[in-house]
Amino acid sequence: MKSFFTVFSKEIISFMRSIPLVAVILYSFTADIYIAGAGMQIKPRNVVIGYVDNSGGGLSQKILSHFHQPEFVTPKPYLSQKALSRAIFNKEVLVGLIFNSDFEKKYKKHEDTQLDVLIDATAASQSLTTLAYLHNIILDFEKVDIPLKLQSHKLFNQNADNHSFMALTELLSMITLLSVILTAIVFVKEKEDGTWDLMLLMPVNPKIIILAKSASQVFIVTAGVVLALGFVILTTFNTPLNGSFWSFMLLTLLYGFSSAGIGLFVAAISKDVMQVAQLSIVIMMPLIFLSGAWTPIYAMSPVFQKLSLISPLRYYIEGSESIFYRGTAFVDLLPYFGGVTLLGVLLYWYGFRKIGRLF
Amino acid sequence: MRINIIKAYMLKEFKELVRTRLIVMVYLLPSMILILFGYGIRMDVSHARLIIIDNDQSKLSQTLSSKFEHTKYFDTVERHMSETQALREIKQAKKDAILIIPSSFEKNLLKGEKSELGIFIDAAFPTRGTTIETYIQGTILSMAKEVLAKKGVAQKGMITINSRSLFNQAMRDEDAIVPGLIGLVLLIAPAILAALLIVKEKEKGTIFNFYASPLSKNEFLAAKLLPAFLLHSLNIFILFLLSVYLFEVPFRGSFFLYWLASELYILVSLSLGMFISVITKRQIVAVVLTVIITLIPGFLYSGIIMPISSMDGASQIEAHLFPIMYYNHIIYDTFLIGEGFASQKNLLYLGILLLFTLVLFSVGKLLLKKEMK
Repeated sequence: MKSFFTVFSKEIISFMRSIPLVAVILYSFTADIYIAGAGMQIKPRNVVIGYVDNSGGGLSQKILSHFHQPEFVTPKPYLSQKALSRAIFNKEVLVGLIFNSDFEKKYKKHEDTQLDVLIDATAASQSLTTLAYLHNIILDFEKVDIPLKLQSHKLFNQNADNHSFMALTELLSMITLLSVILTAIVFVKEKEDGTWDLMLLMPVNPKIIILAKSASQVFIVTAGVVLALGFVILTTFNTPLNGSFWSFMLLTLLYGFSSAGIGLFVAAISKDVMQVAQLSIVIMMPLIFLSGAWTPIYAMSPVFQKLSLISPLRYYIEGSESIFYRGTAFVDLLPYFGGVTLLGVLLYWYGFRKIGRLF
Repeated sequence: MRINIIKAYMLKEFKELVRTRLIVMVYLLPSMILILFGYGIRMDVSHARLIIIDNDQSKLSQTLSSKFEHTKYFDTVERHMSETQALREIKQAKKDAILIIPSSFEKNLLKGEKSELGIFIDAAFPTRGTTIETYIQGTILSMAKEVLAKKGVAQKGMITINSRSLFNQAMRDEDAIVPGLIGLVLLIAPAILAALLIVKEKEKGTIFNFYASPLSKNEFLAAKLLPAFLLHSLNIFILFLLSVYLFEVPFRGSFFLYWLASELYILVSLSLGMFISVITKRQIVAVVLTVIITLIPGFLYSGIIMPISSMDGASQIEAHLFPIMYYNHIIYDTFLIGEGFASQKNLLYLGILLLFTLVLFSVGKLLLKKEMK
């Protein structure tokens, strides 16, 4: 036990002494998460609308006046449909409205009136939202009184605040990335610096060395998580924490060991830091993308759905979202804990065996 | 420029790429990014899991439910359960939304009295939550409009919106995302490779061979960049085949323009990597710097997430400083629009890409030293 703590504290000290590394970790857990949370804006803003107005004014201008900041830039007039299409082709305009010459006349006579809309569907989400807006504006206009009240509740995130969500996703990806890379580097550094043989000569059981070295890195990552939560996630972005803080920390710790297992595996097969970087990219990218961070699992193709079952990140992300937003009871979190623990034990055991052969 | 010397040096570079297995990265990384991002990013919402709690059980409420059953947007189940039970399913992340139809729904609607429909949506994933909400509200409202029009309650002569989606009629996510990804991939992968080429020699100390040899700067750079250029040229075709056959993105424009723009773009990316390679000393620093410079701006300004035209002032200027915006404009044109050489904007952007190459290459060459500092 004593030798475990000696190796453990040696790693922590050598981490603290390497100032660039500390700086990178601090940056990753604070500024980087802040940038990701603050910068990503998927909601439509400043959508450029162009229009051709052959109807002579009144009604069409009334409809156009409903498009305003921050979602829309003031609609730009075009002289002909041809000029408008050209602007759309050149990506200067996203949505084009065409008011035909009989637009207003027909509307006033209560005949069926048509409004032509051209949409640049390469920016699908912005265009669709504009279309939904347009429908609402026109519904407003016709004053059709539908005797329905839609009582809509967005649970867990009333204002659909994207920033806190992006920040949390970034934190989870960071945890994954750093616990793999840090763990791998702790071992590979020894290989690169030539101190590997010194390590072999130490009168310490190799198993304890591996355990202490990887545990020290998981500890560093966990400390970073606390920092990120304290300074960025819970304070700057006001991410709700509806579940229990301790269940999140426990889940993080368990998950840290499963990524450390991957790190051990990477360390076993790479010779220098460069190879660690390459291998980590190749291993981590599929893991992150198939984890449900960007697309929910059930919307993926069936093959990927099956594959994602063996990714510990899948359980970690869904579990963390449930803890932060959904405030799920501990009993209902057990599947996530089970998944992370099971895969963690398997991965760690495998990495442990793999690197153990080098001792 | 002595061709034979360059040839010999190039051969050495090729062999080194093969022996250090870096060549695996050259071909693995681009295809992997394309496939993972292409499958992994979904902006639209499909198969949202919806529970309908129908307390009315009338003909009208069943019509409403059936509207939700036959679309790709929802996987609907109709259940008899209490609100709390349904909420628990959402908390367990088994369902995304609940729609509660009140008991006298049909009666009230036809009489013209207000009835209240309850909608609960899991907004833990905010953008999806909002989209699901819009879909549900839209479906209900359009049904109600239909029913009322039939009964003659609503007025005649409404404005119908006749929308035409240009370039991507089916609104497929693949069509909107995959071409943009090519721009991202061809920016990152060649840049990383080129960033390693010179810095690797610096770190290992073999750069002194170059310092001591009669090789000129031009010959050295040609020998370094040509293999990378040739290897990555093959990627242009691989990525094209993946997009068209795996993701089934239509290709409407000129292949020649696609090829030409891509080759130019690879040159931009290689020059950028070379520039980084010249100014850094350690491999790991070079890689990290390249990723920072290419990945994040590449993703932001690729037009995948957000069209450039709807960015605000500062980011719009920033977008113009990175090559990806110009290349992606041409790429989206060749895949989805098909204007080709007829569009002046394409020609202009092609010229800008050429300018990027020249500037980056000359600055890199200027900073490359042929002696120890």
